[in-house]
Amino acid sequence: MIWKEKYRIGVSMIDKQHQELFRRVEDFIVNLRSSGKWEDRQEKVKSTMEFMKEYVVVHFRAEEEYQKKINYPGLAEHQRIHAGFKEEINNFAQKFEEEGYQEDLVQSLAGKLLAWLINHVASEDQKIGSYAKSLGGDSNEG
Amino acid sequence: MKAEYVNPFYQATIQVFKLMLDLDLKRVLEADGADSQVIVQLSVSGDLTGTITYHFPEEMALKMVQIMSGMEFNELDSFVTSALAEIANIISGNAMSNLFERNYRCDISPPQVLTSPPEGLNTVPTLRLPLETKWGTLIINIALRETPS
Repeated sequence: MIWKEKYRIGVSMIDKQHQELFRRVEDFIVNLRSSGKWEDRQEKVKSTMEFMKEYVVVHFRAEEEYQKKINYPGLAEHQRIHAGFKEEINNFAQKFEEEGYQEDLVQSLAGKLLAWLINHVASEDQKIGSYAKSLGGDSNEG
Repeated sequence: MKAEYVNPFYQATIQVFKLMLDLDLKRVLEADGADSQVIVQLSVSGDLTGTITYHFPEEMALKMVQIMSGMEFNELDSFVTSALAEIANIISGNAMSNLFERNYRCDISPPQVLTSPPEGLNTVPTLRLPLETKWGTLIINIALRETPS
């Protein structure tokens, strides 16, 4: 399990989504790291990757909506960070189109994504939680 | 080269290792480069110009990815090097924020994974920052100078 309790930000809607996101990332990575021929595994890897990517979009949107709702002062910066990450994911998607669905490329995407996500949730997203808390302890209403 | 360029990297590395890996680092005076390692380099531009090069020994690299994923890793494949490149990117980004607080405005390039140590290290003034963990010593080479105006 790659989710850790210390990633909690204290806003239940976001914490639940983060846990779901980490579950999907883990599912993708477990399939990607399983043994066997790439040709036999790649359909499953591809579907778990798509399943994860879908949720990244859903989650980023919901998290930004929440920030708007509480007038979070760091919204613009947070949107910029999300957009930068989505652009990097799209660059990978474009490479898959051009170069084919190469295992090395998928491994690179997964390694980067794991490190990015852990840092983003453990660092940047904590600031949303701190701000929500400063508004008066209603942070768990999401 | 000014020693004041080192602290922003030292602080950023300590913080990122703690946050992402629950791992403590200790600054040591010197360390030998490992035979097998992951080398990640980033360029810096803006008020300062130069490069930052991270040398992660193999054992440390594998452990770092294992801590993050909860899975066992046995070789320096593209998953591992890509994850470490992102960590070097995160550390460098945080170091740039620390430098900004010291009134240096700088940007970093995307991280590049190198297959062998970069050449020219002896010709460019470089500060070495060795940081020890129980799985080996991370060496950060900081080669920065003020950009001529």
